[in-house]
Amino acid sequence: MTSPLAASTRGLTKSYGRGDTLVPALRGIDLDLPAGRFTAIMGPSGSGKSTLMHCLAGLDQPTSGSVTVAGQALEDLDDDALTHFRRDHVGFVFQAFNLLPMLTAEQNIWLPAELAGRSTTGLRDRFDQVVTSLGIADRLTHRPAELSGGQQQRVAIARALLGEPAIVFADEPTGNLDSAASAEVLSLLRQSVRELGQTVVMVTHETEAAQYADDVVVLADGRIVERREVAA
Amino acid sequence: MRTVLLASLRTHTRRYGAALLAVLVGVVLVLVTASLSSAVRDGLTSGLAEPYDGADAVLGHPSPDDAARLLAAAPEQGADAWLLGWTLQQLSHDGRVVSTDSDIGPVADEPAGRWQELTSGRFPDRPGEAVLDNNAAKAAHLAVGDRLRIGTGSSALDVTVVGLVDSPSTYVVASVYVLWTDLARWQDHLYVSSLAWAGPEPGYDGARDAIRAVVPGAEPDTVDAFVQEVQKDVNRGVDVIAIVALLFAAVALLVAVLVINNTFTILFAQRSRDFALLRCVGATRRQVVRSVRLESLALGLLAAVLGTAGGLAAGQGLVALIHGQWPEARLGDAEVGTVWLVVAATLAVGVPVVAAWLPTRRVVRVSPLAALRPDDSTQVGTATGRTRVAAGVLLLLAGTAAFAVALAAAVPPALVAGGVATFVGVLLLGPVLVPALVRGLARLGRRLMGPAGRLAAGNAVRNPRRTAATTASLLIGVTLTTAVLTGLASSRSALADEMDDQHPVDIAITSARALPADTVDRARAVDGVAAALPVTGTTAEVAALGDVAVLGVPPAGADSVLHGKVRTPGPRAIVLPWDLIGDGLEVGDRVAVTVGERTVRLRVRAGDGWGEAALVAPGTLARLDPSPRLHAVWVRADEDADPEDLAGSMEAIGSPLGAGIENGLADRAYVDLQLDVLSGGVVGLLGISVVIALVGIANTLGLSVLERGREHALLRALGLTRRQVRRMLAAEAVLLATVATALGTVLGVVFAWLGVRSLVEPVVTGASLVLPWTQLGAVVVLAALAGLAASVLPARRAARTAPAAGLALE
Ligand SMILES: Nc1ncnc2c1ncn2[C@@H]1O[C@H](COP(=O)(O)OP(=O)(O)O)[C@@H](O)[C@H]1O
Ligand SMILES: [Mg+2]
Repeated sequence: MTSPLAASTRGLTKSYGRGDTLVPALRGIDLDLPAGRFTAIMGPSGSGKSTLMHCLAGLDQPTSGSVTVAGQALEDLDDDALTHFRRDHVGFVFQAFNLLPMLTAEQNIWLPAELAGRSTTGLRDRFDQVVTSLGIADRLTHRPAELSGGQQQRVAIARALLGEPAIVFADEPTGNLDSAASAEVLSLLRQSVRELGQTVVMVTHETEAAQYADDVVVLADGRIVERREVAA
Repeated sequence: MRTVLLASLRTHTRRYGAALLAVLVGVVLVLVTASLSSAVRDGLTSGLAEPYDGADAVLGHPSPDDAARLLAAAPEQGADAWLLGWTLQQLSHDGRVVSTDSDIGPVADEPAGRWQELTSGRFPDRPGEAVLDNNAAKAAHLAVGDRLRIGTGSSALDVTVVGLVDSPSTYVVASVYVLWTDLARWQDHLYVSSLAWAGPEPGYDGARDAIRAVVPGAEPDTVDAFVQEVQKDVNRGVDVIAIVALLFAAVALLVAVLVINNTFTILFAQRSRDFALLRCVGATRRQVVRSVRLESLALGLLAAVLGTAGGLAAGQGLVALIHGQWPEARLGDAEVGTVWLVVAATLAVGVPVVAAWLPTRRVVRVSPLAALRPDDSTQVGTATGRTRVAAGVLLLLAGTAAFAVALAAAVPPALVAGGVATFVGVLLLGPVLVPALVRGLARLGRRLMGPAGRLAAGNAVRNPRRTAATTASLLIGVTLTTAVLTGLASSRSALADEMDDQHPVDIAITSARALPADTVDRARAVDGVAAALPVTGTTAEVAALGDVAVLGVPPAGADSVLHGKVRTPGPRAIVLPWDLIGDGLEVGDRVAVTVGERTVRLRVRAGDGWGEAALVAPGTLARLDPSPRLHAVWVRADEDADPEDLAGSMEAIGSPLGAGIENGLADRAYVDLQLDVLSGGVVGLLGISVVIALVGIANTLGLSVLERGREHALLRALGLTRRQVRRMLAAEAVLLATVATALGTVLGVVFAWLGVRSLVEPVVTGASLVLPWTQLGAVVVLAALAGLAASVLPARRAARTAPAAGLALE
């Protein structure tokens, strides 16, 4: 199976602090993430999953090594260029605090496009499609405080998908949800891969969540210890 | 709880910085007021008794005529009498006008009454000699031996400076002292503060009887009684000024209370989880509250120490600066009493404690569990919200009613009550009103602001109560500033009309003898002259007054030089300056006006503002003299001409011709200066409150930035650039500042209008509201810019947020 790469890393390391308090969070990661697939990054707490995701997504600077996303080497970009790159090519779903409390669901979904100064008219159809498939069409005028946790995550997914990013990162997207809502959110992520051809990378420590993915990468202590395909 | 208190003080001290600054400014202002008023009081009252040394009785405020009679009578009775007072006259040196209103006082003929302290040269011993006050001489670069001209026209006096003196008392100081024989020519323009009398036999009774013999019914005092009375007067005057200054300090402290209250509210909201945790692990309500109140007390104590030290230093520094830079201001020593220190320290401690009181109570009401849930409870529609809105509306109605009463009956207290009620009402309605205005303004500026601006608009209104509290502090300062500016502009325009009547001519060169025809061109050529108009007339003998210039008015082209109008007499009237009327002549008398063979009888009218000349209708002039000649040149000055320079140039033209100079421009400039100083002072003092309010805005924004760290991280992750983050916070600050300023401007203008309608209009006819558009616009623009400045630090901090940093779960 040879699909094009959505993202890749070579010799990626990341350490926090310095001197005595130096914490090596990633100790040399070589990873290829094929496009159009749903990859789960697993591992125990503190193993470096979030750090890896932040480096992949251009949210944080690696200590050494290279990261390439959608054909673009991230180390070549300064802060502004990185910001523009993120808003054009990367989508995010976080564990919590995904939405701005003072904006409605619809405003939250449009936010990245608006920040990019993109015209909303061209994205109208895509918006309707995404919102309908995520089942939140009747929740658009609500503010986050008026939505359940599962609904909030669906809004966050809609926001991530709207701009047709090269890759969507989800960090423990079900960490705050009960099992029914978790199952829903995971199905929706998987559906977006199957039906829209989206590339999704999800960080999770829950084995059940990983069952929805196509590939699983297991981290321990800042290294990749296992890589496998999930049986369909 | 001690550990908790100390730890939270350590952690949160930096966040109290703005609160500390706010209260410090207020306290320093109080102590600077104390220092300055003490220095002024000392300057005014020290040496008060010395000019009366050796006197047996003092007669306060005699009329100039009575004073003259007493001075004349003293030698006959073997007594010494000396006068304390002055007249304001133009002073020139070498054709250069040193001052248009120099104070000219008397120096006694006999050594007994010479209270001035001679520092060089000698005292005058014949007419035409003068001594100068040292400070005045220094300021005007004059020295012993200089020739000075005092006054203009026919009453001008040329003197030689023969000595320099100091005055032991600022109460009676003058710039130039001449002998009574010289001073008497301005008797009608003399302000006599007092007359001292030393009889041949010491004792009050004899002196009183001697005075009463000349001025029946006079009520002289003993020296001690008189000095005490003056001292009381001075103290009362200084007290009034100090109280006015303290009012501004009170406004500043009120704003500080709002800023600090807001700071505590925000900080406590941010720390509500900590408080709840403390409660969960067993702290009682009392313990939590006490710990938090002790924090505000610690802040207050720090403010007390820094504020009193800083205030004393600032006060002493300011007095020292004035001593050094403006010795002629004659300040004394500043001595701040213990009472002041106690008051300042109490304010410093009290303001934070009072400001923290309500927020602390809110902390207590939070239950241990509720505080652990996210808090978004400040919506209008809650019970408190409804009470607040109801109270606000009621106050607005009550205020309007009070205004109606004030308008109908011109009752100042009703006006003040209405102002306070309306303002508090607006403050209470703030959480509804301000967010609505912010949204409206944001909608107007939508195109301009882009996505960052739209986010800012959302941020600005997300916590209505905080938004309202933040803007309230600025609202107070701006409302007062605009009210004062508008009120002063209205008074200024009312005064301007009056000035036009009193000083229709900027500068008039007038002579009883005909002037050479080229005088007009020479005047016109002077720098700062916009127009010069020839006024023709004749030399006439007017009853007992002797030769007087009689001008025909209005001269052709008068509109090009006059402000307003000069009095135009009817065909059978003559308008005489007030100066000439008096000795045996009264308004309404009929006088014979004679030129050569021709005599006309005219009724006397009086007026002022064009110099030493009589005015008649052109027809009357023609009857007196068929070929009138040039007797006056009326000059209109450029808007920005310097009155003293111009007067000097005119003096140079007029003096050799024996012409007098009437300088209306100087009086105008003086009134303008007073209004400028008044508005400058008021705006400057209110500016202090505005600055505190802006510190408050920066503070709220800074604290909000801390609170919204995760939001900013999310926005950064989603594609907001650093610059957009900065722009977002700048837009938020500008929105808040602009809304507060706009609202304050509207309120201030309305208050000013009501004030003018109910207080000024009944007194000054034709007074009406005048909007100083430029100044009002400048206030709005400055406030917006200041809002921008207030956002700089918080925005820098927010922009530093790393996109990944805020996202990890705590
Ligand atoms: N900002 C940080 N500063 C210091 N150490 C950090 C920081 N973020 C993560 N770490 C450390 O890096 C390691 C990996 O963290 P993380 O990537 O969050 O793990 P995971 O997401 O797998 O739980 C941990 O040991 C963690 O303590
Ligand atoms: Mg993690």
